[in-house]
Parts: sequence; structure tokens; C-alpha cells
Amino acid sequence: MIPPQFDYVRATSVEHALELLAEHGDDAKLLAGGHSLLPMMKIRLANPAVLIDIARIPDLSYVRDEGGTLAIGALTKHAMVASDPLVALNAPLLAHSAAQVGDPQIRNRGTIGGSLVHGDPAADLPMAVVALGVTLVVVGPSGRREVPVEDFFEGYFQTAVGEDELLVEIRVPSRPGVGWGYQKFVRRANDWAIVGVAAVGAGADAQVALGNMGNKALRASATEAALAAGASIADAAALADEGTEPQADMHADAEFRRHLVKVLTRRALESAAS
Amino acid sequence: MSEADPMRLNGRAIPGEPAPGQCLRTYLRENGAFGVKKGCDAGDCGACTVHVDGAPVHSCLYPAARAAGREVTTIEGLSGADGALAPMQQRFLDAQGFQCGFCTAGMIMTAAALDDEQMADLPRALKGNLCRCTGYRAVGDAICGIRHVEPAPAGDTVGRAVGAPAGPAVVTGSARYTLDIDVPGLLHMAVARSPHAHARIVSVDDSAALAVPGVRLVLTHLDAPKRHFSTARHEDWRDDPQDTLILDDVMRFVGQRAAAVVADSQGAAEAGARALAIEYAVLPAVIDPELAMVPGAPVIHPKDPATRISDPDRNIAAQVHGHLGDIEAGFAEATVIHEARYRAQRLQHAALETHCAIGWMDDGVLTVRSSTQTPFLTRRGLSEALGIPVERVRVLCERVGGGFGGKQEMLTEDLVALAVLRLGEPVKLELTREEQFVATTTRHPMVIDVRMGARADGTLSAMQLTVLSNTGAYGNHAGGVLFHGCGESIGVYRCANKKVDGHAVYTNTVPAGAFRGYGLSQVIFAVESAMDELARGLGLDPIEFRLRNVVRPGDPMVSTTDELDDVVYGSYGLDQCLNAVRTALGNRAADTAEAPDGWLVGAGTALAMIDTVPPNGHRGEARVSLAADGRFLLEIGTAEFGNGTTTVHAQLASTALGAAVGDIRIAQSDTTLVGHDTGAYGSTGTVVAGAATLQAATALRGTVEAAAAKLYGGPARLVEGVVLCDDRRIELSRLYADAAEAGIALSETGSNDGTPRSISFNVHGFRVAVDPATGEIRILRSVQAADAGRVMNPLQLRGQVEGGIAQAIGAALYEEVRLDDAGSVITRTFRGYHVPTFADIPPTDVFFAETHDSVGPLGAKSMSEAPFNPVPAALANAVRDATGVRFTRLPLARDAVWRGLAAAGVPDSQDRSLTPQDSTGEATQ
Repeated sequence: MIPPQFDYVRATSVEHALELLAEHGDDAKLLAGGHSLLPMMKIRLANPAVLIDIARIPDLSYVRDEGGTLAIGALTKHAMVASDPLVALNAPLLAHSAAQVGDPQIRNRGTIGGSLVHGDPAADLPMAVVALGVTLVVVGPSGRREVPVEDFFEGYFQTAVGEDELLVEIRVPSRPGVGWGYQKFVRRANDWAIVGVAAVGAGADAQVALGNMGNKALRASATEAALAAGASIADAAALADEGTEPQADMHADAEFRRHLVKVLTRRALESAAS
Repeated sequence: MSEADPMRLNGRAIPGEPAPGQCLRTYLRENGAFGVKKGCDAGDCGACTVHVDGAPVHSCLYPAARAAGREVTTIEGLSGADGALAPMQQRFLDAQGFQCGFCTAGMIMTAAALDDEQMADLPRALKGNLCRCTGYRAVGDAICGIRHVEPAPAGDTVGRAVGAPAGPAVVTGSARYTLDIDVPGLLHMAVARSPHAHARIVSVDDSAALAVPGVRLVLTHLDAPKRHFSTARHEDWRDDPQDTLILDDVMRFVGQRAAAVVADSQGAAEAGARALAIEYAVLPAVIDPELAMVPGAPVIHPKDPATRISDPDRNIAAQVHGHLGDIEAGFAEATVIHEARYRAQRLQHAALETHCAIGWMDDGVLTVRSSTQTPFLTRRGLSEALGIPVERVRVLCERVGGGFGGKQEMLTEDLVALAVLRLGEPVKLELTREEQFVATTTRHPMVIDVRMGARADGTLSAMQLTVLSNTGAYGNHAGGVLFHGCGESIGVYRCANKKVDGHAVYTNTVPAGAFRGYGLSQVIFAVESAMDELARGLGLDPIEFRLRNVVRPGDPMVSTTDELDDVVYGSYGLDQCLNAVRTALGNRAADTAEAPDGWLVGAGTALAMIDTVPPNGHRGEARVSLAADGRFLLEIGTAEFGNGTTTVHAQLASTALGAAVGDIRIAQSDTTLVGHDTGAYGSTGTVVAGAATLQAATALRGTVEAAAAKLYGGPARLVEGVVLCDDRRIELSRLYADAAEAGIALSETGSNDGTPRSISFNVHGFRVAVDPATGEIRILRSVQAADAGRVMNPLQLRGQVEGGIAQAIGAALYEEVRLDDAGSVITRTFRGYHVPTFADIPPTDVFFAETHDSVGPLGAKSMSEAPFNPVPAALANAVRDATGVRFTRLPLARDAVWRGLAAAGVPDSQDRSLTPQDSTGEATQ
């Protein structure tokens, strides 16, 4: 499969990338790791005329402790997120979920920002950042803005990042020592989640996110509310599918997903509480 | 890519620029790095893994332009400048961590970059590299530095763990697969495929396609000869209905070839194919095989009886009917009867090398280099389909990247040949992974109604099978698979009353074809499940029940007819196999995994018998010659696609000739080498082709000794690479020269016609744990005992068995080619069609029965397809034991298992305590 022909330009800075986006408009796509975009181009779900390579922009690959917040550059590769000691200490759920992305080859190229902007509801990182309550920093022609994660994912492969904008940083609340759970149900080891659940904290503080239970990563609001009201894990988990709209596809039907999400939520909360 | 900032490939600056949009994989191959393979072109398989600045990446997902200024290392660059193997290459050689080797370069590149932490967790570290042949045990051993290859003294090589002759080439990336040659002026083909399950082509407007720069030729049904053939390759063409054209005006499944475009580049060919305007008149389609036989259903092949279609008006491609004894009397005698409908799903072989071929004209001879199991039969097929004399066609293959039966078909060669004959220029067709799923053959899905009865004394009284096999849009292998499936599956049991009715039915779906096991894996799933139920009904241990009923030497092996055929008890190790599995499963301490709390645990077994050679004749032919350098040249017709038979041929020849394995040079799989060879199917590589090699080599020993006696006087003996005449040592190179001068030919041919035939056995056992909350099945113990006769090469045999088990575990748990209601395949990538990864395959203990076959060469029997066959039934029986629920449909997918348990009221232990796996937050696998 040969992807459509495209022109290739390399951005040297964030400003340069924004200029190139302004210049090429809808015809352009940003290329970070390329591990989501290129497969879509080969099957012609994406047909950009220009690829703007942002992988070599300096200073967008970092993990910094900013006192209560971890700042992670959008071009930080999954392998680095998975192995960074600051992430392991302050957001172990994020380190774990980054280690689940794809395979080592993919983790060597794929970036946290690229995965989030891709907006796949079945992917690992979206549900992790929803559970963690991160803030996303986006720059565009009108400057820099911060987007809370609940406003970031808009639907299948849709995020709040505009066509002329660039995600530059993920800001993660530091919670050293907090319990967490991560459940990813797959048929085979190297797959996207049929259903995934990420949980941080326990009891009234618990934050639970669901993967592949709708067109974007979701908070398990009913479960969280029940926990806040003092319900047991088992009772709260039984509400996990409330408000979700899981799809039926070749991997599972909606009924199985609704059942699974309750089982997995219970297991994730039990992990987080232990 | 500028000259100031070039990409460096294996230390060398690469001048020039990649094409706009080109990926690194194809760019590296254009620059000679043929070790970089295409398995999927979508980042799912890892066969194209290379290092960029030392880190492994999928080169198919890496735009070539972005490698500017980077150091790219491929398998070719991993070895030292002096050619010394890198440590990881040496490890793969020492452990023989490969079979077909197509995934090996990528696997080694990934493995070579593992750090200590990753080495300690290979299941995760190797997520990105698929292997379809080995079952991963050998790969894991290689990475961990476990050495398996043993030295083999000259003349004493059979039975030893000899490494594959191609091993050094495989681990260095220099092994040449079908497309790994640089052909000047090569043109590229792309195929436009039908979007309709059933339609007639009204017109093809090719003007826009021909206007695409670089497009040279458009082929439609108007260009193709009206000569029907079958894509199935069999020694006897009458085995298959002749229902296929190279290009037809009737589309019978979504994905059928509608037209082909040839162009200067692959991109132009694909653009041309997209630009074709094809007008279709849509016809009524039938997707469900049960509906296809109903009167009034659309007739898919309205053809005359000369095509050998069994009943065209009822869409029946082939049928089998037969009975022994009195089936109803048998049921009347039964204390226990089991009756159920079983379903075995459609599977893809998923060989990592997709179907591909390159053709060219060579001095008036149409020459096709193909990824095939059957070069001679493909030559015959091309001759018939194109109407050219067989002498004007040559077919060859070099290394083949996996087959599993899928390459016992002619699926690319005919179209390539048509284009070559039109243009007179070299043409290539390489199927994409999506085309592989949509348009190449699959396992026959079957619905099997089983009714079996047993007496209170534990003996079978009646076995009845009613089988509906879905052959898809074409009848290739329809009859053979149906017949074979209903053969050894019940022939292995002593029972006076048997009845079989089977139909192979056309539907407007992707054609089925030859698949490892050739019908047996489907029917054995049903029969062995039923045997388990009967044992339970009688209160007998299932293995004990089988021991009471299996045939023993002297019993007739019959299924549908009591006519004598040529299958004999060349050896018999079934009792050994059953006892070995019983003993192994009895030892709980040997389990390789633990059941989490709250999961349900049980064990199950199943057996399989297979004839060592297919019926209706199978010819192997080989020639062995003394070469000028004093080594031997072994020329064999059959093909090797990862099953290790070439190694066995070298061992057989070296043993007969008293030579070292390394002194046997092998040329194979080329129609110019020998007269006629049926090829590599039906697990014949050792028992038929190997017998031919052994015969040729044995004859050559006599010829060499006679020539030496004549030339030098006195009795001559060929020993360890020299001839001893009395007390003189004559070097073989000298003998060659002297014989040539004297006009004595030192070359002998051997052949074997594949009759009589013997039988092989496999018994599999599992212990599993089942999570009632999610339907997940975890394998706690896997054991298989195989009766392959005398073991020619324990290392390769074990690999072959493990690979079959791994493929079958995928088939038992999740693999399925799925269609939508309109008959279109929806599992079009490795993301939709799941092939097991390293993490998915548990270790299996493999036992070999100690037998010596009287039919096969030096006591050997076949063991290529067979390890697959008992596995799904053994797994279903273990799940039955664990849960009390009988699953009758494959795969045992998690949702299906959960639903089945819920429907049966199996309690979901919601309140169980945490398991270690849960509490670490580890992903559920």
C-alpha cells in the first residue's frame, strides 16, 4: 500500500510549525511519531498534501517537576514517559499506561502528544489522562491556552486542538503515593482495549476513566458519585456503564462491553484501594 | 534529503532523494537492503524493523524523508565488516530461532536492542514482532542464548539437531525470498477488485487509468483466455472443479479480481487501478451455505458437468456419502448418545510473506518466480490456463515466507504471466496484507452435525457425521478437504456402524482452500468433543475411553467405505501418545501458570490421526551428483516454506553418502532441476520427497563405489568424504575428474510415488483456568505427544509441532475471518484478525513416541500439518471440564464464553479476593 504522495517539510520551532500550518491550511497535517497518521494515510482515511514534521522541534520533549504539577512536553516519546522516574513517582498510572502503548518500536517513535491529539477512544493514554485530570497546553495564532482534559476530547479522532494549533504540553497533577488501577481487556496481548478502565485514588477521591465505552474517553461519573456518597466498590462499579454509549464492532458487542466495564471498574478500584 | 544531510545506511551515505510520500521500508529495499521485509505495511507485524540511530522502529511507518541525517541499520549492517555475526545473529543460529525466516530479520533487530529489563520480560518486549511458524519458544530460547544445534559427524546426521542449511543466510538477511531480487526494468501490477458479492461486469472504462503517468497496460476479462482451471494445485487435476478464469466477467465474491493495471511504479499501478471505471450489473447473492442449497437460490456457477462441479444447480461443488454397517442399529445398541451441531470458523493462514510473483521472458520461456509450495504444479496450471506448452514455462521459488496450505494455490502467477506475455517485460505482483485477507483462500468453515453412540461397556456403537462445508465462490480443494475431513477423524476409531453425508457448497464469499490439516481440524473439533461427552456419559476417563476404541494394528482404518486403500500401519504410537499426555496432565506440579482465585479449572484432551501422504498419488523426485569440488549437489523438486524439510533432505543424503551435512549443496524448487515433483503439500516433504532423496543418494553411493572400483581397482568404499580402495584414499574431487575423463556419470535420480501410505498421530492435553466474570481462558499446562516415526531432527520436529500448536491456539481462542451480511471480509488487518504474539503462547511440553515406520525413509513419518488438529478440541474439552459447559462453536472467544457460562447459570464469583495479578494493576491479557 502506497500512501498518497505528500510534500514533507520540517518545522524548526513551534513558531515555524504554526507558520507552516497557516500557510498550508487544511492540506497539512502535523507529523510527530507518525504511528497513527501513516496507517490512516495508507488506507486513505487521511490525505494530507503536506506533512509538517515537528519531531525535531527542540525543547518539546521533557518531563519537569513544577511543584505540584508535572509538565510533560508533547513530543516526549512513550518510552521516555514509561521510564521517567518523575512520572513513576508522581503519576505512576501514566507511566504504566505509556508502557502499554503498542510495542517497543512504537514506543520508540510515538509521542504522548501525538497519541492524545489522535483522539482514539480505545487507546491507552486518553483514558489515563482523563483519570488523572490533566490540563493540556495548546498554542495557536492567538497565543497559548490551557484546556482542561474534560474539554479536550470531543469525539472519534476529534479534539479541541484547532487545525491551526499545536499541542505543546501536558500538565499532570502530582499525586505521589496515590493508589491506582489500570485494566485493559483485550483478546490478544498486542491489541487496543475492547474496554479499558483507569482509576486513581480511593473512596470520595477516586477518579475513574473508561476507554472505548463511547466516542471518547469518559469519566465514570455515576461510579464516582456513588463512591463519594459512601458506596462500596462493588456497588459503585455496578454503575460504571451509566451514561456510556459503547459501540458494537468486530471485537465485541455493546452488551459485553457494558458487562465488562463493571467487572473491570471493580478490579481497577480494588487495585487503587490496595 | 539533501546531499549535506544524507541518510546513512549501514554506515554508508545514501545519495539521492526518496520519492514524495515514500516510506523507509521501500526506500531501504531500493537501496539493496532486501533483509527489510513487508509483512503488513501497517506497523503491526515487525518484519520491517530496522534501527534508526540505534532504536528499533517499524520502517513501514517511517517516512523516508525524515531519515535525513540519521544512521539507519538493517539486518545486513548488524554483522561486523568482516562478516562476523553479531551476537544476537549467532544466538538465533545456535537455537535455530526461526523456521521460514521471513520474520527473523525484524525479530533479530528488535532483540538486538533489548536492554536488561526488556530481556527479563520478553512477552512485552516482543509485542511488535509476529512469527507465524515457530510458536515463539525457539525465538525466546535464541534471545536468551540457549544453544540447541548439535554437531553431526559425517554420515551420522539423521536423528541429530542439525541446523538448517539456510540458517546463516536467514540470520544475516541474505536469504532471498520471492521479491528479494533486483530485476532491471521491473513493472508493477495492482489489481482492481469487485465491491460486489455477485455481479456481472458490464463495461470497463480504462481511459483515466491509462492517463495516469507510468501506466502501461490494463487487463480485463476481454484479455484473458476462456480456459477454466482451478487455483488448487493437485497432482491429479480431476480433484478440483475447473471453475476459475484468470479474469472473469462474473464477480462471485467481494474482492475477486475485476481488472489489473501494470505500471512503471507501484504507486502508479495502484493509482491506475483506482482510476478504472468499472460498471457492474449486480446479481442476487447467497452468503449462507445452508441457503445456497435451497432450490431457487442464485446459481453461482451455471456450468456444464465437464467442469466437474458436482451439482451446479444446487451450488454443490462436491459431496461425499458413505456408510458402514447399520447406523440405526448402532444407535439402538447405544447406552449413551451425543448429538450436537458444531461449527468451525473461517481462518486465514496469515503467512508473513504475502502471495507474490515476478515473471519475465527468458529466451522464449515464460519464467515465473513465485511464493509457492508447488512449482511443478503451478507450471502445469500456467500451461493449462494460458494454453502454452509446458516446456515453455519455468516456475521456481527461492525461500518461501510461510505457506500453511495457502500457497498450494495459483493466486498471483497466472495474472503475472498474462501481463508478461502481453508486454514481454518483467512484471511483479505483490499482494497487500488487506488483499491477503480479502482475496486469498481461507480454511473451509464447516457446520458439523455429530451423532455418536456408545455401549455401556465403553465401546462405540455408531458414528454419524453430516457436514456442510462452505467452499466460497470457487471450488478449489472443496472435495479433497471434505473427503479428508471425514476420513481419519472417524477412521481412527473402531466402530462397526458409521455414516457420513457431506456437501461442499458454493457461496458468494471469499474462496476457501487448502489449510493446515486439510479438513481434519474442523471435523476433529466435532468428533473429539463428542468423544469427550460420551466418556462423561459413561462415567469413563476420556483417555481411557479413547484407548478402548482407537484402532490397533490389524484393525481396518475405515470411515465411509470398506474398500481397501493403500494406507497401512507402517508404525503405531497412538497408545504411547495417549499415555504420555495422561501422565503429563496428571502432574499438577508441572503446570506453567497458576489459576487466579475464583477461576474455574479443568483439563481436557483430544487425539488426531493423519495419513502420511495424500491419496491419488504424490510424486517426489531428486537427483544427487558428485560435484567437481568433491562435494555433492542435491537437486530436489519440492519446496521448503519453513517446515525444515530441506534440513532433513541434507541429513538423509549425508547419511546415505557418509558425508558431512555441509558437503551437501542443495538446489531446489525449480522446474528445470528434475522431471516432475508434486511439491510440498500433504506433509510430504520428508516421507515422499525425502524418500526420493534417500533413494538417489543411496544409488549414488553405489555408483561412486563402482566407478572407483573400475578406475582404481579393488573393492571401493565411500567413507567420510573419501573413497577407500584397499589402502588408498581417493579424494572425491579426483574421482570426479577421473570419472569425467572416462565418461562415467556420477549422478543418480530417485523418485517416490507416495504409496503405500502410513499414519501419524498427535494427542494434545490442556489444563485451563476460566474467568467466569469475563470469559477469559488462561492455559495452565499444554502438552502434546506426537508419533512421527523415527525422529529425523528433534529440533526441527519440535519446532514444527510447537508452531502448529501456536497457530491452533489462535484458532481456538480468537482467530476468525469475519464477513458482513453482504459477504465482505471485515477483518482486513492484523488489528482485526488476531495472530498470537509471543505473550499469547504458553510453553508446551512436546513428547515423541518411539516408533520406526516401515514405509517412510529411515523410519520417518510426516509431522507438518498434524500438530494443529487436536488442539481446538482439547481446549474445548478442558473448558467443558472446568465449567461444565460444552462449547460447540469456534473460536472460544471471551464474549462467547462469558455468554455461554451466563446462559448456563455458572456463578460469576464477583466477591472473590484480589489476585496478585489484579493488585499490581497489571493489564489483563
